[in-house]
Order: sequence, then structure tokens, then C-alpha cells
Amino acid sequence: MNQVELSAVEKHYGEYHALRNIDLSIPEGAFVALIGPSGCGKSTLLRSIAGLEQISSGTISIAGERVNDVPPRRRDVAMVFQSYALYPHMDVERNMTYSLRLRRRSADLIAAAVREAAATLNLSGLLGRYPRELSGGQRQRVAMGRAIVRHPKVFLFDEPLSNLDAELRVKMRGEVRALHERLGATSIYVTHDQIEAMTMADHIVVLKAGRIEQQGPPLALYDRPANRFVAGFIGSPSINFIEGAVTADGGHVTWEGLERPLSLGRRLSAAQRVQIGLRPEHLAVATDGTMAMVVDTIERTGSQTIILGRCGGQPMTVIDHGRPVLARGDNLRLAVAPDHIHLFDPDSGAAV
Amino acid sequence: MNRALDFVRDRSGFEMILIGLSAVYLFLFAGAPFVFNVLMSFQKVDLFNIASIDRPFVGFANYQKILANPDFWLIVRNTVVFVALSSVCQLAGGFALALFFMQDFAGASWLRGLFLAAWITPGYAIGQVWKWMLAGDTGIANYFLRSLHIIDGPVYWLSDPSLALLTITFVNVWLGIPFYLLLISVGLSAIPRDLYEAAELDGANAVQRFCGITLPLMRDTLLALVALGAILTLQQFDLIAALTAGGPVNSSNVAQFWSWQLSFQSYQIGLGSAVSVLMLLVVVVIASIYVAATRSERAA
Ligand SMILES: Nc1ncnc2c1ncn2[C@@H]1O[C@H](COP(=O)(O)OP(=O)(O)OP(=O)(O)O)[C@@H](O)[C@H]1O
Ligand SMILES: [Mg+2]
Repeated sequence: MNQVELSAVEKHYGEYHALRNIDLSIPEGAFVALIGPSGCGKSTLLRSIAGLEQISSGTISIAGERVNDVPPRRRDVAMVFQSYALYPHMDVERNMTYSLRLRRRSADLIAAAVREAAATLNLSGLLGRYPRELSGGQRQRVAMGRAIVRHPKVFLFDEPLSNLDAELRVKMRGEVRALHERLGATSIYVTHDQIEAMTMADHIVVLKAGRIEQQGPPLALYDRPANRFVAGFIGSPSINFIEGAVTADGGHVTWEGLERPLSLGRRLSAAQRVQIGLRPEHLAVATDGTMAMVVDTIERTGSQTIILGRCGGQPMTVIDHGRPVLARGDNLRLAVAPDHIHLFDPDSGAAV
Repeated sequence: MNRALDFVRDRSGFEMILIGLSAVYLFLFAGAPFVFNVLMSFQKVDLFNIASIDRPFVGFANYQKILANPDFWLIVRNTVVFVALSSVCQLAGGFALALFFMQDFAGASWLRGLFLAAWITPGYAIGQVWKWMLAGDTGIANYFLRSLHIIDGPVYWLSDPSLALLTITFVNVWLGIPFYLLLISVGLSAIPRDLYEAAELDGANAVQRFCGITLPLMRDTLLALVALGAILTLQQFDLIAALTAGGPVNSSNVAQFWSWQLSFQSYQIGLGSAVSVLMLLVVVVIASIYVAATRSERAA
């Protein structure tokens, strides 16, 4: 059964159209990531599910019940805010138990819930501290603890890791995912970090300007982006885009300055203009490659070498997993497999 | 010379000048008059020796005379009623209005600003206007209440001994509410919105959010406000002078007005000083309750 179901959801802020025709089905126990650039409506969508924003039209249901007119406190969803929103006048224990105390649960049950959450999140030594006495990472864990003691129907996360440093973020990424697996609850996770989304989620929803551009499993979005926007958004460093055209025989693409057209392994209508997308990690440095590249800059991270340069006059980024000996101005040859060539309509941006 | 200049510019010299200036100011305009006042409360002061400090000491005689005055307990009771009732009503009214204005309706901030208009009018003038409005036979208040059939005959708001104190308390509440409204609004808007959202998702209804979030987070602000408001009410002089002058027969007289009457109407300056010193003790008690309360909060 679908735990969360949105159909034809629209949201207007006065003149501004923040969500456009959102259809989304989230099965029970799924981990869904909402990603998109800043201002695309991720928070708005999440807050609409929580009931903190009134949607303008459409329906939202949770566990089969239509909740459009149900106030947030009756929707049985828990949210982890980007700011954490911990109650400053309550210590960690009272922060986590506020919801249970409001529901007048027995003292034993509350104590057991706190003990379990504190053990899960490594907070046992901090129960008597106030939020201002905690580090950023500890606050983040308290915010998670406040959500999990309740065993809600749905967990909502609004960029919960964005205030943490890079190292802690990677660690918490794993912990949040592990927690999700343990609790088996439905989670909706907002982030603008596509790596976070790719590594954590079962299902990714890409939003742009209030509209869903594409949704599906992470690798499906990576392998078969529905449009230019999704292709550019997913993957790091991001995909190379080149203006080009299909050759007269319909089986190759090329662009001005490229010596030999690239084979597509399929037939398209001849001579149409296309945008060619080549992921940096799919371009291989090979002596028998068909594309000539001139090196501009080399960035070495240790595990990989990022080569920036020009290929047939177009800027191109290539990732190499070895440690090639290269210098500015060197010439390389690149190869790409036909099924790694993404093509998009230059006007609509849709995949061809 | 250069070294002195460097000390001011780069080290603690500048801070010391600032502290020194305010210390001099405080001494000249608060400390010295205060000492002078305390001194007078232990002296026999009359119109002939008022100009010199060297006056006959009388020990606690001024205080004894005050305590023995037949009106003393009436005035204490009036003062307590005036301050306590004013503070409670100002706090409740100011809080209710502040919450009301937090509901961002059209023109809310504009209207809230209008509340402060009462403050640009001098207190004595406000007292006069209310006196006209509350006048027994010609006042608009009685006319209004009569046309609404709430009262039958004229009510003598200011000259009925059982009403006079309540009436000046009412006007003082009216005057003090904008002060509470403004400062409570500032405190309320400093509470992050997402706390309310988190509480809402945690299952708190409006009343629970008010008791669980708003009140605890406003505690310090409210304590400071009540302490300050009570002190302002203890200083309230203009309204009483304009409305009842303490009458009829002291039924609306309060300590601050009595002190003035003793000093400047009957020229018993020693007695007036003694009353003001007693009031000062009350103010010190109020202030230390506030300091203790906020300190325990910070230690928690
Ligand atoms: N209360 C509001 N009134 C008017 N417009 C709003 C309001 N809240 C959000 N918006 C607009 O709606 C759009 C979506 O906002 P939202 O907060 O959902 O963005 P987001 O995708 O979460 O961005 P970010 O990654 O920066 O958090 C933005 O353009 C924003 O300006
Ligand atoms: Mg956001």
C-alpha cells in the first residue's frame, strides 16, 4: 500500500506558483529523496505533506486517509528541520519526550522510549544537557531522536545534514540510512546535494521550478535522464554538454571541430540538431580513441585525475582513475561507448 | 602625551573614559540627590534651613511620625492595590493585544504603532482629558453607559470614595498597555517560528503551544516588564494629580502623591523624604526579585 500519495497538488503563494501538478506515490517503508536547485519548492512540498502549508488544490493522503484538512498535529508525521528547531528551554530528554508527554503516555513507556532512542543515537550521556550546550552534530541527533521516539507514520527531513561539516555529513548519511532500515518507516528526505540523494534514497524525485522533472531509482536517473536538466543535475563533476547534430546516415553524432563522428549504435532521424551529453567518467583516455583532446588543467585528488581541456573546440571534463603523466597543452585521445552518449532535444531539453 | 593618547586609542583607556562619564553622571544626577534625600529623612527640615545641609538631626522621628499618621495604612493599602492591580491588568491586556497583533492581518503593524500615540501626550493632559470624560454629570462616559442602559443614574467615578482608586487604576492601565504591548510584541517575534511548527508536529494544540513554548520562552521578558512596569506605576504622579489629587479624603491617595503633598504642600519636607525612602526600599525589593529570578534562569 502507498503510505503517502499526492495527486495533482498545486500550491500558490499569492501570484507565485510554487508547486505545479505534483503526482507522487510513496510505498510504505521507502526512502525518497527530493532534490532540486534552491527555490524549486522542495521545502514547500515537504511542508505541505506535514500540513504546515495549505495546498491550493489536489489531494494528499497518508496511510490511505485524505489529510488535506487534517491539522499537522493529527497527521502523525515527524519532521527534522534544517535548523533543528530544538526547544531551547528543555533539556535533551524533555526535547525528545515532549510529544509523548503531550499524549500523556505512561512514565515507564516514556523512559523506555528515551532509553532506546538515546542508545540508538549515542545520546545517553547528554540527556541532561540543554541544546545550547551541544555541538551541531549532537543537536542534529537530538532532532532525529525527537522524531524517532514517536514512531510516526512518516519521517520528513528538510536538509538535516546541511549544517554539518563534510566529514560528519558523510558519517551521518550512513547513520540516517541505517536508522531508516532499522525502523522500516517511510522517509522523505529533502536535499540539494545529489550525492546524498544518490547514496541514501531508493527513489529520487527531481524538482525544478515547482515541477517534477523526473522520478525513479537513483541509477535509473543516472543512466537514463529524462531531460537535459536531470542529466546536468545528477553526477559529479557534472556532465559535458555539446551542441551537435546527427549525421546524414542517422547512426552517428558529431559537432563542428570533431574529426570523426561518434557512433551511436542506433538509428535516429538524419541531420537533426541535438545536445550531446558525455559524462566525465565515461570518457576514457585511450590511444585508439577517436576524439582528440587538448589539456588545459589537471586536478589530482589522489584517487582520480580530473582533466579539463577542449575536445574538437568544445570544453570537456574527463575523469581518469589512473595517474597519467600530463601537462598543459598535451594532446590526448578519448573514447566513449555508444550507450554512454546521451542526446537531448536542443529546444525542449527532452532526451532523444 | 603620546603614550596617554595611545592608551586611550588602543588599550582600555576608551572604555575607562566611557565608564567614568557615566559614573560622574550617575553621581551628579542620581547619587547625590539620593544621598541628600536620605539625609533629609533623618533631619528636621523647614523652609528656613532648606538651603543648608547642616540641619538638626532627629533620628527616626520622621519615620515614627509617618507610621503613626492615621492615613498611613490606608495609603499603603491604596498603593498596593494601585500597583498590583495595574500590573496584572497591564500584563494581561498587553499580552492579549500582542498575541492578537501577531496574527498578521492587514494593517496590523500600522495599528500597533497607533497604540503608541497615547505616549506623545503629556501625562497631565491625559489625566485632564479623562477627567472630562469621566465627569459625573457632563462626562461622555456616563452618557455612553446610560444610552446603552448599563447604568441608570450618573456614576461619580472620581468623587465616589469607593470608586476613585479603581478609576485611576483603570486610566493607568489604559496608559500602560501600549508599553506592555510593544515590549511583549518584540519578545514574541524573537521566538523562532519553527519552534511552533515543531511543537505542532509534536502534537501540541494552540493552548499547549502557548503554555509549553510561548510562556517559558517569554518568562524573562515578562519578569523584566512587570518589574519595570510596577516601578513606572509607583512613579505615576501626573494622572493622580490631574484626576483626583488623592481625594476624596485620601481614598485614592498613594505613597508617591502623599510624599509630594507632605513635601511641597504642607512643607513637611522631612516627612516627605521619609515616605520616598520607604518607597525606595520597595523598589529595591522588586528589582532584586527580578534580578534573582533572571539569574536562576541563566544558571539553569
Ligand atoms: N511564504 C512564502 N510566500 C511566498 N513565497 C514563498 C513562501 N515560501 C516559499 N516561497 C517561494 O516558493 C519557492 C520555493 O520555496 P522552497 O522553500 O520550497 O524552496 P526550496 O526548494 O526548499 O529551496 P532551498 O533549497 O533554498 O531550501 C521559492 O521561490 C520561495 O521564494
Ligand atoms: Mg528548503
